Formats: sequence, structure tokens, C-alpha cells
Amino acid sequence: MDPYQESIRNFCIIAHIDHGKSTLADRILQKTGVVADRDMKEQYLDNMDIERERGITIKLQTTRLHYKANDGKEYIFNLIDTPGHVDFTYEVSRSLAACEGAVLVVDATQGVEAQTLANVYLALDENLEILPVINKIDLASARPDEVKTEIEDIIGIDASQAPLISAKEGLNVEQVLEEIVRLVPPPKGDAKAKLKALIFDSYYDNYKGVVIYTRIFDGTLKKGDTILLMNTKKKYEVTEVGVYSPGPIPIGELRAGDVGYICASIKQVADARVGDTITLENDPTEAPLPGYKKIQSMVYCGLYPAEGEKYESVKDALEKLQINDAAFFFEPETSTALGFGFRCGFLGLLHMEIIVERLEREFDLAIITTSPSVIYKVVMNNGDVQMIQNPSNLPPLMEIDHIEEPMVKANIMIPKEYVGSIMEICQERRGTMLHMEYITETRVQLHYDMPLNEVIYDFFDALKSKTRGYGSLDYEFDRYEKSNVVKLDVLLNRDLVDAFSMIVHESKAYSRGRFVCEKLKDIIPMHQFEIPIQAAVGQKVIARETVRALRKDVTAKCYGGDISRKRKLLEKQKEGKKRMRQFGSVEVPQEAFTAVLKYDDNK
Amino acid sequence: MMTTNNKKLGLYIHIPFCVQKCRYCGFLSFDRAGQDLHSAYVKALLRELACWGEVAKEHKVDTIFLGGGTPSLLPGESIVEILEACQTHFSVADGAEVTMESNPGTLSREKMDLCFAAGVNRLSIGVQSLNGEILSFLGRIHTPEEAVQSYFEAREAGFSNINLDFMFGIPGQTQIQWEETINRALSLSPEHLSFYGLQIEENTVFYDLLKKGELKETGDVTDRRMYHYAIDRLREKGYVHYEISNAAKPGFFCRHNMKYWSMEEYFGLGLGAHSWFNGFRSSNETKLETYLDGAKAVWVHKNTEKDTISEYVFTGLRLIKGVSRSAFCHRFGVSIDELFETEIQGHLKNGLLEESEDGDRIRLTSLGIDLSNQVMADFV
Repeated sequence: MDPYQESIRNFCIIAHIDHGKSTLADRILQKTGVVADRDMKEQYLDNMDIERERGITIKLQTTRLHYKANDGKEYIFNLIDTPGHVDFTYEVSRSLAACEGAVLVVDATQGVEAQTLANVYLALDENLEILPVINKIDLASARPDEVKTEIEDIIGIDASQAPLISAKEGLNVEQVLEEIVRLVPPPKGDAKAKLKALIFDSYYDNYKGVVIYTRIFDGTLKKGDTILLMNTKKKYEVTEVGVYSPGPIPIGELRAGDVGYICASIKQVADARVGDTITLENDPTEAPLPGYKKIQSMVYCGLYPAEGEKYESVKDALEKLQINDAAFFFEPETSTALGFGFRCGFLGLLHMEIIVERLEREFDLAIITTSPSVIYKVVMNNGDVQMIQNPSNLPPLMEIDHIEEPMVKANIMIPKEYVGSIMEICQERRGTMLHMEYITETRVQLHYDMPLNEVIYDFFDALKSKTRGYGSLDYEFDRYEKSNVVKLDVLLNRDLVDAFSMIVHESKAYSRGRFVCEKLKDIIPMHQFEIPIQAAVGQKVIARETVRALRKDVTAKCYGGDISRKRKLLEKQKEGKKRMRQFGSVEVPQEAFTAVLKYDDNK
Repeated sequence: MMTTNNKKLGLYIHIPFCVQKCRYCGFLSFDRAGQDLHSAYVKALLRELACWGEVAKEHKVDTIFLGGGTPSLLPGESIVEILEACQTHFSVADGAEVTMESNPGTLSREKMDLCFAAGVNRLSIGVQSLNGEILSFLGRIHTPEEAVQSYFEAREAGFSNINLDFMFGIPGQTQIQWEETINRALSLSPEHLSFYGLQIEENTVFYDLLKKGELKETGDVTDRRMYHYAIDRLREKGYVHYEISNAAKPGFFCRHNMKYWSMEEYFGLGLGAHSWFNGFRSSNETKLETYLDGAKAVWVHKNTEKDTISEYVFTGLRLIKGVSRSAFCHRFGVSIDELFETEIQGHLKNGLLEESEDGDRIRLTSLGIDLSNQVMADFV
């Protein structure tokens, strides 16, 4: 192997959320001098405001670093940062395919969590070398030896040499770099072979067009080459190749083993599909690389512009977001209550929240979200099968033979003292325990068979709340199963508001109906008239609340001509009115739509 | 002082001192301030008067309002000094309305005589209730008897324009107690009556009690029953209900307060006072120590045409006669119905607004008064 390729180390960092992955990435950037200390800011690789605020990584990022190791040689590191949350597993698996090694960060106080495991399994699937690192050893509650044992017992990899670090304090980070040199194998591949490169991400740049993140497995690619995208069969002339370090730096060529970017005046992101293989038009490789599984959205909901006239702006924004979020899906739909909007598919609730937040922040759009739903398999009397994810599209009951709902295998890790309460919330959510095991003396892993619709509703919030944040969850789709689900409707002032309709299990209809009515009663402001709020299954009303009529809304006096104070009050009131949505004669604040979905601790 | 112009101006002068802070009061006032502080404050006020006088050379002051706090807490000499300074630095119109707010228990007969002689011609007495238990619950320092006595002494002192302030919707207050208070007040036959629904504001004793659950707010139904009872009785007795919380015998509307509801100009002097002058809204320093060092506006806002229009409408709607279409058009050169077509039509339809018989005025209905913020918010 040539010395250049010998010096490359492609790796990613994987971890459970909050175990310090982004902080370690920050330190590595500093130690290798890519980012000057004065330019350093927390979570350097997390570009989106929302990532920094929530302290999570959503999109993967890649950076080339130069490291002079203790053996005196200089190495090229390609670091690919990955998200940790269960919703973004798909992003993780994409970045793994570009690497030979994975640094596994485990929190010395928390130990191995559900997503640690999930990510490790993904990495093992890709045959990556796993390099365990124990983080946060500066904390008083750190228990590195126990955590080492956990890693060995649960994951089954040797952790005896695992560096004990504090990414926050910058402690022992060099050890991690040395271990990367020692343990992560240099990339295989032949720079003289036919070009074979993987698209593992892409984004749209206003000046350059689509920018492709790629890993070259074989061959060499340079500016001026004409590439062929094997899946879409499209051809482009390469206008720029380069690496991120951490900003884009054009270089002469990308060779086997390299991770970098390509620009080729590609107008549509859809033309440079993530997972596709790039080769040269005049000297193509025979077989493409194995692509990714096409991602399937698990959770659907309607997104509507709060102001109807913003429909086109929302559409533009959704298109832009979809460009580098392969897991996000949308199509137009209409609702009698909300007008024109979009049916959108997500990986999970967090993914949904993040898309909505990005629409609001990055595009300054006010969005109304309808109840999230999974996809139900509706088997008709005549044997036809319909896949329904919008409650409003559920065919009339008499035409339906039965409905099937998606089931998942959920893997829950918790400290043992919470076993009782977690079993309780799982049971409430129609979960069946498959088995339970002690992974250490104090920590337990529960395996559940559960309906996805229960998981997406509020399970994650409930789990976090009941375990003071120590519980973790990972789940994957298993099968469809016949289920007694019904459509729950909400009527305001006797008019059905389709945007509130949801499909729930029959056993939950009553409690959900009551919960929704109570929530709406608190949120819908008093009107000049009394407003009945009803929840109904079919024709049968199962819960009812009433918003009393407004009797008084008057300011007694304005002290000493202080008109500005009165104006502020009125402006606030008007602002509130603006955030309202008119349903028949009833005005409903937009937060009503999300509030009816939230986990209620006091329930 | 020479004036060549008839531009009118109101002066509001704030006296932020009280004997004791009432338990519902969230306003800028200080209790247990010593004599020294009082005189330092009056000194600062006189300085401020002098400097504003320069700005309003061309204006004729036709109303002066000493508000508080408790202006009557100041020594009579200070009141005299302040009013003399108004005369010195401003051109005060003959027959200007000069109001002083007062609280029973701070107003000796001698002080009344002094103030009357100095030109105070309208006295506002903060009676609040004529029920002893309610008065002490509110944290007032006077009894019903003292309030009535103050009223009669004011008559003896020569005041022929007296306002009595009342409050309803007080936690624990019954409908009967309120009716008794109103009827007794009417039997005194004051020229003017104000009746304010109690609003529990932040930073008050009542607010803390409310948060602790030791106080229960009056229900909206009871509150409105009290309000409408008062209005009906006042009207029966020949008073004109002219503003949401004010009624007067014909010819005795408070001309100063009318300025607030008609977008006429006024200066606010003293701690935290608000002004509307020359298209600007502004408010004064609210920290006493800083104010004593020199008055300074801490907030100034140049109204846009849109601001002024919205304020004209929402303050104008506080007047029972409402907003005149022709006056609006005359002032702003545009039709109110064009600007606010959906808002006006919507509220005419839902019964919160109505038109006067001649079709010129748009005003709140009786229900519209109860829900007036709902209407006003649509115009900001």
C-alpha cells in the first residue's frame, strides 16, 4: 500500500446522546490544530443553531485533520461526527459506511445505554474496529472500572486499554488520538483501480449546486473528470474536489481511502442520491457498492402553515429541508379544518419536532402540527389492503374487515430501581415483555414487544420522566399485527375538527378522549359563547368538557394617562389572537395541536 | 406670560407618597417617606416644571391634575408652591380645571382651605368603600365616617366639584355591601363618581395572597353584576355615564381625564409620569433617587400615524359616546370604516359595538363594555 493511503484513518465517533461525543470532537479539532483555540466554540461541528441549543447532533459532519503521532509519522484523520438520538440511527449507519473505525464514547457515570448498544451493533455490522473511550472521568460520580466491565460484559469487546478521558477538560485526549493510529486500520482499496465512490451525504449550496460528501473506495477522482452516478445514470463534469478541514478546501484529487467532497454543477439533490455509487463515465466500474436500505418514515403528521397564504413558502422550505434529510418525506394534503398543508413522514417524534422547529426558526414560518400517526394496514371486506397514515382517510367502518398496526421490538435500559414503574408504563402502553436481563448489578435491560403508536405518542417522555433521565430506549420495526384500533374524533362547538382526529386503541379511546378534552378546555380561550368540547368514537360521545362564556375582559383604568401600558396589553392580546386558528365560530390557539400530544406527568 | 396660541395642554403632576401602601396597590408610591424626602421631591418637581414651561410656551394649560400616591399628604404649603410654579412657568387659562386627589385622613380642614385658596377647584377623594371591614381589608387608613366627614368638610371649604372614587369586585365584597356603598355615595350627591373594578396586579400584597391561595378573586359574573348595578343607579339619579369607569352630573366630566380619551396633549411631571406631546409619548424616570437628581424621560416614542390612529380608537372607545366617524375623518383624513372594515363590521355583528342613532358614532354596547379589550385589541 502506498504511504499516503497507509497514513489515513477514517473514523467516526458513536455514543449515546449526551455522552460527550461532540465535546470529544471539539477537543480533537483543537489538539490537531484544525481549529485555533480562539475560534473554538462548543460543538464546533454542529452548525445548526438548533443542534447547539439542544446540545445534540442531527446532521453528520466530516472533517480532515492532520496528526503527528508519537511514532514520528504524520497521519490524516477523517473524522465523521454522527448523531446519537434513536431517531437518527439512519444518519449513523450512513457515516459508518465511510469509516474503518469507530470511537465509542461511554459516559463514566452513566455506563452503557440503549443507543450505545444500537450504535455499536451498526458499527459491528459494517465490520468497523471499535475503540472504546470512557468519558467524563472528571466527575465525582465517575465509575470507570464498572463501566469497563459493562462494556466487556454487554458489548463483548476488550475495554482494558480504553482511554479514560475528560473531553470537557481536555484530559487524555492524546491517548485517544494514539489509539486511533494504533487500532483503526488504514483504508483498503486501490487508487489505480476503476473509480468506486460512495455518496454518504449531500447538501445544496447556492453557488456550487449540490455538494456531495463521498468516500472513495477505489480509483482516483479529480476536477474535470466526467462522473457517472450509477443509480440515476446521470453524468456530470466535476468542477471541484476537496476536503473539509473544517471549511471546504479544494484539492487536486481524491484517491482511494479519501473522504471529501465533490461539486459537479448538480442542480437537484434528488440526482445525487445518498447511497449511490460514483464512477467515471469513460472507465466505469462493473458493480456498484452496496447502497443503503431505503429509509422508511415511521411517524406521519400534517404540517400546515399557520397563515394560509404562506403555503408556497412552507412548500419551498420543506423542499430545502428534504434536500439533506433523506429520512424526511412530504406530500400535499388538505384538511377541512386547516386548509392546504402537507402530510409529512419522520423517523420519530424528535425528528418531527426538529423539522418543525427548523421551519419556524430558519424559515420564519408559523406551523401547525396535527396528531402524529403511524401507518395502519387496513384490510377491506373485499380483501383490498390500504395503508393509512392520516386518520381522516380511514374508510367507513362497515367496509373494513380489520386493521393492523405496526409493532416494534423495544429495548429499554434502566437502573434497576425503576423496573417497576417502567414495566407499568410499558403495560399501560400495551407492551408485552419478552425478557428482562441484568446487565450489571444495578442496570437492567427490558425487551418489549410494543405497538409503535404507543411508542411515538409519549413513551420517550414518560420513560425519561419516570427514570429521572436515566432510562434509554431503542426500537426497531418488527411486524404488522391485527389490532382493535378506532378513530377518535374531536368536536368543537359540535363541529368535527379533522386536524384533531387520531387513531387509538379501543382500550385507550376513553382516557385519550378525556385527556384531549381537558387539555383543550385549558387552552381554548373563553369566547362570547359557551363552547362544548367533545370526543367521539363514531357517533358516540365519550368525553365532554365546556369552555365557559367570557363575561368580562375590561381594564378598569389607565393610571395617569399611561396609554403605552394599555397598548402593550392590547398588543399582547392581539398577538394571541393572531396565533389562533378559526374553526367555525371557535378560535383555537396553535399550541393546542401540540399540547394534546404531550406527556402529562400528573396523569 | 405671553401666549399667541390657543393650543391646549393638560398637566399631570405625580406625588408618589402615601401614609401606608394599600394592599392592592401596584402603583409607583412610597410609604413612610420622611419630611425631608417630601421636600426634596417637591424641589425636583419644581425644577422639572420650570424646564417644561419653556417647551410649552405656546400652550394654554386648561387642566392640572395632582395625582398619586396621595397628593394631599404633602403639606398645604407644598401644594401651594407647586400650583404657583405652574402659574409662573406655564400660561394657565382662566377657569382651568385644577384637580387634587386626596385620601381621607390626610386632609385637614386647614389644608383644604390652603389648597382651595391656591386654586384647586376640583377635589377627588379616594373613598373606595363605605364599609369599615372592606376598608381595613384593602389596607386603607380611614373609616367610612372619616370619608364622609372629609366630603362635608370639603363642601364647607368651598369645593363645588367633588369626585368620589370607589372600588368593586373586592375579594369577599358582597353585592349588598356594594349596593349600600353606592346608594350612600349617591345620597351625598357628589358631582362626579368613579368606580373601578379591582384588578389584582403583580407586586402587591393581594397578588401574593392570591398566589398563596389565601385570596379568592371575585367571579366575573359577580363583578359585572356590581358594575351594571352602579351604572343603572347612577343613571337613575341623573348622572351621565361618560367613560367606562366614570360618571358625572351634566357639565362635570373630568376635563383632564377626557384628554386621555381624546388624544389631547398633556405633560406628566414627577416620578414615572407619562406625557403625550407633539406626537411623542414619553415616560419619566421611575427610580426615586435618580429622579431627585434631575428629571429625565426614560422612554420616548415617536408615534407613527398608525400608532396614533389605534390609540385614538381604543382610548376613544372608553368613552361611552364612542368614536365619531366624522371627527376621525377630519383628524386623519381617512375613513375609519375603510381602515377597520372587518373589525368594525365583525363587532357590530357580534353585538359588542353599535352605531349611534345619527349613525356618526361607533360605540361599545353594554356587553361591549364588559368585553372591551376584545374589541380594542383589534384596533392596535
